[in-house]
Amino acid sequence: MLYLELAVQGLVQGSIYALIALGLTLVYGLLRILHVAHAALFTLGGYLGVLVTNATGSLTLALLVAMILVGLVGMLVYRLCYQPILRKPPFVALIASIGLFIVAEEGFRIVFGAQGLSYASPPLQEPVSLFGGIALKQAEIAVMLGGAAVLAVLGWLAGHTRIGVACQATVSDPAMAESFGISLAKVRYLNFFIGSALAAAAGVMVALLNNLVEPGMGSVPSYKALAIIVLGGLGSVPGAVAAALVLGVVESFGTIYLGDLLDRDAIAFAFMIAVLMLRPQGLFARG
Amino acid sequence: MLKKPRWIGTLTGALLLTATLASGAVLAETVKIGFHAPLTGPAAVDGNSALQGAKLAVADANAKGGINAKEVELVVYDDQASPKEAVPIATKLIEKDQVVAAVSGSYSGATRAAAGLFQAARIPYISAYAVHPEITQAGDYVFRTATGGEQLGAAGAQLIGEKLGKKKVVLITLQNDFGQSMAAGFKLVAARYGIDIVNEYQYGIKDRQFGPIVSKVKADQPEAIYASGYFFTAGPLISQLRAGGVEAPVIGQEGYDSEKFMEIAGKAAEGVIITTSLDRDSDKAVTRDFIANFQKQAGFKADMVAASAYSALSVMITAMRQAGADAADRPAIRDAIAKGSFETPIGQLTFSEQREVRKDIQVQVVKDGDFHRHSVLPAAELPSLAAQQ
Repeated sequence: MLYLELAVQGLVQGSIYALIALGLTLVYGLLRILHVAHAALFTLGGYLGVLVTNATGSLTLALLVAMILVGLVGMLVYRLCYQPILRKPPFVALIASIGLFIVAEEGFRIVFGAQGLSYASPPLQEPVSLFGGIALKQAEIAVMLGGAAVLAVLGWLAGHTRIGVACQATVSDPAMAESFGISLAKVRYLNFFIGSALAAAAGVMVALLNNLVEPGMGSVPSYKALAIIVLGGLGSVPGAVAAALVLGVVESFGTIYLGDLLDRDAIAFAFMIAVLMLRPQGLFARG
Repeated sequence: MLKKPRWIGTLTGALLLTATLASGAVLAETVKIGFHAPLTGPAAVDGNSALQGAKLAVADANAKGGINAKEVELVVYDDQASPKEAVPIATKLIEKDQVVAAVSGSYSGATRAAAGLFQAARIPYISAYAVHPEITQAGDYVFRTATGGEQLGAAGAQLIGEKLGKKKVVLITLQNDFGQSMAAGFKLVAARYGIDIVNEYQYGIKDRQFGPIVSKVKADQPEAIYASGYFFTAGPLISQLRAGGVEAPVIGQEGYDSEKFMEIAGKAAEGVIITTSLDRDSDKAVTRDFIANFQKQAGFKADMVAASAYSALSVMITAMRQAGADAADRPAIRDAIAKGSFETPIGQLTFSEQREVRKDIQVQVVKDGDFHRHSVLPAAELPSLAAQQ
């Protein structure tokens, strides 16, 4: 039963990684930019979630506000930070992104204080008993179900709507897509909006699990999400999701059985190195 | 891999913060005491708490006529809890500011780096709450007002095995010098109190999600959990343990000692027991005054870090008063610390041959969202770290 419980805990963590990594891999697929500042949007989502919940008492409203506002901020990041330097070599955008991330992190510290914020009365904290004697917090179940629902909806939209198909076309061949009348700008804005909104949702969820948002809460996701999209085969959405879930489970078992040797973050990177040695194209990439 | 550059932090760190603390009385000359603490960066919460404590100690001293009619001036730098910041800061305090003495309101890394420099310059230096064993090993000018990590861990074993009578214990250890040294002390003496350590789990300082550990601890069914950490790790850990259905008592230490801990852990914090240095229910005037004045000055409740910084400063100032009229005779100040007995908000302090503090350990328990007295582990009865027995 313990193994099952560890696996479930791994999936909870993996769902959060998936929500964060998704936006990152969308941006990489579209623009070939490693969008490190994405993790700052995750943090911003967490702060908005706590602030709005504390002000209104409604977590649902907070989730919506966080996703929409952060989605818009994500579009702004593209417009102000990346669009002007799209023609420069990729490292320019990477450095801009790292710079933006640091500014954001220190900004959170200045605006919201170094101590971090907590929910005044944290919602969804009651334990729920599941099959096999597993007990999860309501918030943990919400993370998994929410994550799965979001991914299912996105997957359906990508395959069954005009704009979804346009996105896919743009990723595989931007010049060709444009010649068929697809607006590249629209697709990019949409991708930044969706990716950032998902990161915000992850931020709200993590805040629920820990009851703490801090200026530095994005620092681990900032590089771990990079590891995940590399594992998933850069730019692949299903690959990133699968890699996120696998990494969550590997970390969960690793924390217990390898904890004396490696800490959790080291496990993630050791795993990444091992996979890349055997499958340099990533775990789930074709060919 | 991408490493987050820290140059912005370094820039802010280079900012000099000099706080001249004038009290009502105008004193003719000043005498400088250096102070460094993490005022920005991830440890800024503790750093600012420490600074408020230090400022209060200086203000109190100046209100009582300073040091032999000289006004105490606190020279403050931000070290971001980083050794590479602490080295230039210590050099600056020694060479440029020419401080008579110095106090660290910082963590072990920064304090260890600075201690060697103060020792080499023969400047009395007190670590207020950094616990790494090597700090005081820098030499005979370096003292510590915090109970060392190993001693604190050993006291945790004494508390759990003897006072609480729990024998089947799981350790959850923070992987840094603070957590590791407490785990080492705990393990060293556990057998003396009949404690069986069922399992030990380690976590990193950035971890906030403990799902796998909670699952495993639940399977271990311990009678008590000894968990090291700071309020920002312990808060999430304890709320997740309780939500996961683990009901065994949790025993922590002074790293939990912050009102933010209660805010994060909420109801789950109730009943958590910690070994620390500030007794909220103390009947001693010096402690009660400190708690009241601190809240008035800082606007938030006093915690262990604030009390420790206040106490370290007050030890230094008292020793400087005793050392002679000009308050700048460093060997005399050193001797005064080594031989003295000091009444501070964290208790009556004396120092061992190894310049480690001898003091009672305060055991506090969370009741109705506040720390309250649980019991006291008297200095004389603390477990010896010598390997015999």
